[in-house]
Order: sequence, then C-alpha cells, then structure tokens
Amino acid sequence: MKNLFAFALGSLLRRGAKNLFIFVIFFLMVFVLASVFMVTHALKKEMFTTLSALPQITVQRIVAGRQTQIGVERVERIARILGVSQALPRVWGFYYFPRAGVNYSIVGLESFGQQYRADLQKAADLYVEKLAAEDVMIVGPGVKKSLAEHFYPESFLFVKPDGSLKKVRIAGVFKPQTVLESNDLILMENSLVREIFGMDESMATDIVVRVPNKEEIPTVARKIREIYPDTRVITREDLRISYQNVFDYKSGIFLALFIVAVFTFFIILYDKASGLSSEEKREIGILKALGWKIGDIMRVKFFEAAVISLTAYLLAVTTALAYVFMAQAPLLKHLFTGFSVLKPSFALSFSVDVGTLALIFFVTVPVYIAATLIPSWKAATLDADEVIR
Amino acid sequence: MTLLSPEVIAVLMLDGILFFFASLAFLLSLRIVLRWDERATTPLQYTLQKQAYLVATVIAFIFYLKLPLFLFFIYTLDLLSNILPGAMCAAGVTTATVYGMPLFGLKIANLYLFGLWLAAHRIDMGYPTMPYTRVKFLAYLLLFPLFVAEEALELLHFFGINPHVIVSCCGTLFSAAKSSAVSAFVSLPLPVTLGSFYGLFGLAVWAWRKQRPLLSALANLLFVPVAILSLIAFFSTYVYEMPHHHCPFCLLQADYRFVGYLMYAFLFFGTFFGMAVWLAKRMGYEGWRKWLLFSLIGDFLYVALVSYYPIAFYLKNGVWL
Repeated sequence: MKNLFAFALGSLLRRGAKNLFIFVIFFLMVFVLASVFMVTHALKKEMFTTLSALPQITVQRIVAGRQTQIGVERVERIARILGVSQALPRVWGFYYFPRAGVNYSIVGLESFGQQYRADLQKAADLYVEKLAAEDVMIVGPGVKKSLAEHFYPESFLFVKPDGSLKKVRIAGVFKPQTVLESNDLILMENSLVREIFGMDESMATDIVVRVPNKEEIPTVARKIREIYPDTRVITREDLRISYQNVFDYKSGIFLALFIVAVFTFFIILYDKASGLSSEEKREIGILKALGWKIGDIMRVKFFEAAVISLTAYLLAVTTALAYVFMAQAPLLKHLFTGFSVLKPSFALSFSVDVGTLALIFFVTVPVYIAATLIPSWKAATLDADEVIR
Repeated sequence: MTLLSPEVIAVLMLDGILFFFASLAFLLSLRIVLRWDERATTPLQYTLQKQAYLVATVIAFIFYLKLPLFLFFIYTLDLLSNILPGAMCAAGVTTATVYGMPLFGLKIANLYLFGLWLAAHRIDMGYPTMPYTRVKFLAYLLLFPLFVAEEALELLHFFGINPHVIVSCCGTLFSAAKSSAVSAFVSLPLPVTLGSFYGLFGLAVWAWRKQRPLLSALANLLFVPVAILSLIAFFSTYVYEMPHHHCPFCLLQADYRFVGYLMYAFLFFGTFFGMAVWLAKRMGYEGWRKWLLFSLIGDFLYVALVSYYPIAFYLKNGVWL
C-alpha cells in the first residue's frame, strides 16, 4: 500500500506538466467556490449579530399596502399586554443627500429615556447632556467621512420638507460592534428627527416591543395583530428566516451555475485522463508484465487523483481564506452587498465553520475522483502484450 | 416552492452522480449475471472479467462516498431546521413530508447493505477463482432498486418540503403522550427497554466469547433498532438532562458537542462488523475472528458512551431523571 502510494507520487511528478494543468484549473474552481461561500458565511454571521441586537417584535402600521406612521398612543396599549416588558416608539428614516448621492439612516433617541438597544443606550448615556441641550447629532464613521468630503466638517444643513434649513452640529462619532449597519447611521434627539422629517409629535415610525420570554413572542405578536388589525407585526424569527433565505438564494443560484462549470471540468478531466500517451501505455504494460494486478494499477490511479484533488482543495481553501479575510475579498464582496457609497467600507470578520468547508469539499473532490474512475479502469485493463509490442 | 439552499443542491448533485454510476454498474452486472461462465475462454468472458473490476470499483466509490454524505445529509437537515417554522432539529425536517422517515430508514439500510456487499467482494477477491462473482452481482441487482428508491424518496422529500407549513418539533414527535409508533416504545416500562438493550449487548459479548458468528449477526441485527429506541426512550434524556426531551437528532447539534455523530459512528462500526462476520464465516474467510473483535469493540464503545451519561448524571445529582 505504502509503496503503491509512493509510486503514485512519483508518477505524478514525472508527468508534471499535464498534471499541473489539471491542478491549476481545479484549484481555481475550488478557490472561487470557497471564496463565495466564505463571504456569504461571514456576511450571514454579521447579519445575525446585528439581528440579535434587534428588538423581539416590531410593529408597523400599514395603509394601502404601504408602511406609514403609527400613533404613539398605541404604545400604552401594547405595553399592557402580559409578557411585554417594554414597548417604545421609534422615530427614524432615511435622508437623501444628493451631492454625495447617499442615503443616511437617521435614528432618533429619547435622551434620559430607555433605549431599545444596548449600543444606542451607551451612545445616549455618553452624549445625553449635549443631545438634550442643543441641536447635535452623533454620526457613523462613514457619514463623518462623506460629510467632510462635501465641506461639512463640523455641522450639516438638513433640508426640511417645507424647504427651510436646519443646522445640526456633529457631536461625536459612533462606533458600535458591527460596522455593516452603523456606517451610514446618524443619531439625534427624537424631536429633532421629527422636525427634519416634518412628523407630528403624536406619530412615530414604528413601535418596538421587548418580550423577555422567547416562548411568548408568537402569542404576543398574535395579540397585537388582534388589537390593531391595520398593523404588520414582525418578529425577530421572521427576519432571521428571511435573511437566511436571501443568502441561501444567492449562494444557491451561484452553486447551481457553478455545477455547470463543474461538469464541464468533469468532461475535460475525463477526456484528459482517457487519452493516455503511448509512453503511459507502455508503462502500464510493463507493470502488468511485472505482475501488477488490475486492482493495483487502479489503486495507483486513485491515489494520483486523490493527491491532486486533496492538495488542490487544501491549497485553494487556504488561499481563499487569505483572499477573503486578509484582502477583504476585493470584487467579490460587492456581489453580495451591492454598490453604495457608504456601505462597502466594512470589514468581513473572520468566521469559518466545518459545515462550509464540508460543503465545498463535497461539491468538488468527489466529482474529481468520479471523473477519473472510468478512465483509470480503462487504463488498468489494457492488455500487456498489446501495449508493449 | 422548492428550497434553494446550497447544501441541498450539493446533496442532490452528488446523488445524481452516484445514480449515474449505480445505473452503469447495474447494466454491467446484469450482463455479468446472465453471461458469466468462469470456465469459458471466449473474448466475452474476458471482457466480463474486466468489467467486474469496474463494477466493484464503482460500488466501492458509492459506498465510501455515501458514508460521509450521510453525515452531511443529516447536517443539511439540521440546517434546514433553521428555515422551517417549528422545526428545531433534523427531526422536524425529516417529518416535513411523508417521505422523510422512510427515506431515513432506507438510507441507513442501504449503508449496511452496500457495506456488506463490499465486505463480500473483498473476501471473494481473495480467492483466485472468484467463486462468488455471480452471486455477488446478483445481489447487486437486488440492491439497485433499493438505491433507486432512496434517490426517488430523496427527490420527493426535498421538493415536497414547504417552507411555509409549520412542522413538528422533536418534543412532540417523540413524546410519550402522542400515539405514534415511537411513543409506544417511549412509554414502554424502563426495565424492558434497558433489559433488552443490555441483554442484547451481553448476547453479543457472549457470541464473541464462544466465537459464534450467527449469534453475533442476530444479536447485532436486533441491537440496531433496540439501541436507537432505547436512546430515544432513555439515554437521550440524560444527554439533554431533561426528562421530557426524547430525540435522536438533537444529539447531533453543537449544544451537545456533536456527540451524536460519535455515538452513531460507534454503533454503525460495531453492528456492521457484527453482521458481516456471519457472511465472512459463510464464505470461508479466515479473518472473521478479527471482525468479531472489531464488532465487540464498536458495540462496547457505543454502550460505554451512552451509559456514561446516566451514570454521570446520577453521580452528580444523586437522583435518576
């Protein structure tokens, strides 16, 4: 067994050029696949981190199929449902800044009040005095940069719905754990957000509900739906499933296309492995004349295929790790995040799981070995007397 | 709506490849069974002898790929439980369609059957005349429909899963309250369950002591279902440390350090050799004593691993669940 393996290695090296060609193609295929899955995995993880910080239930009001503002008085009623520990109105929205061509997310917070998220709470605690006293905002690093580029280093002039201007000073830069969602974020006092968006005091964008017991979330969601039939009630679980589906869909489509490439490769490989040179045929003939059995030659061929595919797999996965997490996957990342001036400047945080590696393994290595099965059998059953003659 | 998860696509693609090779092997074995004549010196017999190699290699490839692919299949089901409402582990996904449970049973049965075929093949190759060739390929012809049935069930299952329909969680599937086939065993008195479990293990040990292959095969054949049922009814509750959590699938999740994969690997290893040893003895293979020992080691490791949980629980807490 050990000798057969050594022979297989030697045979691979002797025919270096031919094997190198196959090795490179296979390496590239595994590399592309591995990079895509690693980017997906890292993004998915980032999304789920974000998700775990979100409130358990979000209540939106729907009019004519569109989300609109919701009355603040509903908060009281929702807070009285058993199992709800906290219900808070949120005031937030998107502000389009035409010169930079970007959308900022403006999120309002109630100074001296409770926040629905730990990182917001931290920011509010830090700047509470300033936020309450004057018209200031806390911005994400991306916002800070894009404002500075357009000559607003200290403050910004928001255009209100009636056309008048509102000057708001930058009080600080916001740095929470996930950059993905906070890069375009602007934090302000609720009343200021309402003023900029022209919203009424009694209105909010949506209501977030905290339910400490996970088991009670579906029941609470149902009750809210019954009390206010014009609302859409979204639980965190709904969001998680739809995120999962979006990512599965994207990488699923990619994999479906990729399989076409895999089969093309399969055919190339089959062809390559079938077309033995006369020198190779002679070699097999001599081996058989020396007493090698069909099984021995097939085993050597199998070792060759296994060595090529496994080393290419390992090398490709390692390279993909470096490409995705050290080089931050240039080109590929935008496929998943989309082009936006503010969004792309986040870092993919390192995350690999065995499942992803197994998935990459299963769609590549067995296919390679399968492609060599029949050619190696054909080679092994060549008649010794015919080929040496 | 069909699921477009990359894992599902990967499993289906690999099974497509396996199906292609299995069909090829089926056609070749059909010819071998019909025309094989070891005394003939015709070109046909010569070709058939060569093709026999291809068929055997293909079947070996199928088996060695099916083995890890089965684990990956379970892992895929576990992942899908994140998407299906109500499912918390692979149990819910398996029962999402009526094909799930038969598919699972058939997959396990096929693993054993393909493995036994390979064992028989290895023994047969040891003889210069390969006396069992015809029987071997006839057996494969019978095996092939089972394989096709498995593939068909798998397609039906994956395309039948509706992500908008709520499925059951293992908590309800394996509870004693519901009147399903499994719950009947869960509510069986504990001495009966444990008695048959350790009794069969004892029988396997005795078969090793007395070197009786047939007894070992019978004991191990019965040991597989009894081990799984006792795992559901008794041992799993100690792994979860929850008296009402009976589930053979949650063991495979990260929360329990994937211990299920280890358990099932030991169980398969032990029972597989336990059954194969009878075949080996019948075919006159010298090494069957070694296989009997392998079987004992596998069975012992499984029994030791599952018994560890209740004992450790009792030592820590001083009570039984």
